[in-house]
Amino acid sequence: MARFHDLTVTDVHKTIRDAVVVTLKPENGAADAFDFTQGQYLTFRRDFDGEELRRSYSICAGKDDGILQVGIKRVEGGAFSTWANEHLQVGDTLQAMSPMGSFFTEINPGIARQYLGFAGGSGVTPVLSILKTTLAREPKSSFTLVYANKGVNTIMFREELEDLKNQFMGRLNVIHVLESDAQDIELFTGLVTEEKCAQLFEHWIDIKSVDTAFICGPEPMMLGIAAALRTAGLSDSQIKFELFASAQPGRLKRKVVSVDAASSANQTTAAITLDGATQTVTSPKDVSILDAALQNAMDAPYACKAGVCSTCRCKVLEGEVEMVANHALEDYEVSQGYVLSCQSFPLTDKVVVDYDQ
Amino acid sequence: MAEDMSIESYLAAGGVLTNPTNVPPRYRAELMKLMATFVDSELAGAAGFADIINQGPGIKERIAAAKIVLEKTDNADRVLQIMGDFGADTARYATHHPWTARLARDADIGATRSEHDMRLAVFNYPLQGWTDAVVMNLLMGRAVGVQLSEFSQVSYQPLAEAFRAVIPLEARHAELAQEGFERLMQSDPEAVQASVDYWWPRVAASFGSAASSRADSLKSMGLRKTENAALRARWENETGAILIRLGLVPGT
Repeated sequence: MARFHDLTVTDVHKTIRDAVVVTLKPENGAADAFDFTQGQYLTFRRDFDGEELRRSYSICAGKDDGILQVGIKRVEGGAFSTWANEHLQVGDTLQAMSPMGSFFTEINPGIARQYLGFAGGSGVTPVLSILKTTLAREPKSSFTLVYANKGVNTIMFREELEDLKNQFMGRLNVIHVLESDAQDIELFTGLVTEEKCAQLFEHWIDIKSVDTAFICGPEPMMLGIAAALRTAGLSDSQIKFELFASAQPGRLKRKVVSVDAASSANQTTAAITLDGATQTVTSPKDVSILDAALQNAMDAPYACKAGVCSTCRCKVLEGEVEMVANHALEDYEVSQGYVLSCQSFPLTDKVVVDYDQ
Repeated sequence: MAEDMSIESYLAAGGVLTNPTNVPPRYRAELMKLMATFVDSELAGAAGFADIINQGPGIKERIAAAKIVLEKTDNADRVLQIMGDFGADTARYATHHPWTARLARDADIGATRSEHDMRLAVFNYPLQGWTDAVVMNLLMGRAVGVQLSEFSQVSYQPLAEAFRAVIPLEARHAELAQEGFERLMQSDPEAVQASVDYWWPRVAASFGSAASSRADSLKSMGLRKTENAALRARWENETGAILIRLGLVPGT
């Protein structure tokens, strides 16, 4: 079950105009819980106007930096990232879960590998952690980073990457591809598309020697790069992805409790939405929401039917249900109206539930 | 670069998801079902096979059977950990259910799952002794190989990676079964053929119906690529060839 720890902010600095780098120190003896692997991310939680938001940000520090550091780029309309960029201060306390994610490969000090990283904008944060750790701990390996940005002034960690090139002389190669700023080499202007990658593989990157590729960026960029890598002969197991969709779910609306929620009869009318279609069924109140759906030939999702796995999660939009067992949903999900439909029985004469939210 | 693209169209175009934070609700549900099917089948398969260990005719056979039980349980754990990332109570999950429970040998359930778990229907039938267990393990082991080659391409990267790690272990289980199988052919080919006749249609049914109403939506989520019928045909060809080479008649 997810557990949050307190972390104290020990440093906040801007890397570009709308992105901050936040250094964190685990409190209350939680240091061991934050012994991360390069490329992992932290999930933070914070209350905004009585509603809990959770957001994940990648660690940008390398294993040998001796600190825990994340990069947070401000997203248009994003409550958490805007708050972090405008109000977060040294001394503040943040809450985060232990590092998660599998965007890394095992470090092997004796091996000589060729790594290729692709980063789009703030997607550089986990890639930076990976390349710093790899170059420090695999002295025979080298790393090429293709780094896509709008323009020169939106490049996160630009100076740090320059320093790393000097520190790991000849083992780190950075190719900046800029969408709107013209560069000496025409190939380095524009978007990093499948075609652009194919051209890079012709003269600039020896794709045949690449052992592992890392990609972190927006969806279209990931698709294009992955296609180019597969065409060039890389297998799925050689391509590591990390996706943080630009559209993380926004604030959730609270469920409506109907005013006339009197429960006189033993029957309830349940409006159940699944795969975009809503079916209204009448069912006894001692039949779970899940069984009511299944008995009416709806292909509602479930697995354990014991409140353990959370496959049958749905959202109550109207009315009240009683969830008799819950070993899978967390308090914040429950407060947003989510229930385990296999364990939920209608209390009101009308309920409206949605499996699509 | 910051073009907007919905997760749905990203997935339909072959995109890969990497963590629970941006997984759409219906995708989450289908992914959980897929993982529960694997975990429940491995746990039920291991539990059923555990009872057979001591029926092995020699120490090598018992070691092989014990290894299979251990590794199938371990494979279940790998995928259960990913379910845990989505909130499942992994400790409770592993023990909340009697995985050794079986139906009658002649129960006719087709491809229907039981009410209470997601194991493939074939794991609801009881094993009858060592020969029967070896035959079932060969036929189902070959089927698992075909099914994992499909599911190692799912669009949820952590699960695809777990399946890729499981593939060589499961392939070895099928090899062990085949070794035991060849020995049994020397002593009691009639019993082997009888077990093949029993298990063949039941394993074949584990590929699901030819016309699945969910196939298109699973395909657009990147959770399936190949039709059930094509996977089943591949298994029938590959496994049928092995049986014929050993002097047996594949089932129908």
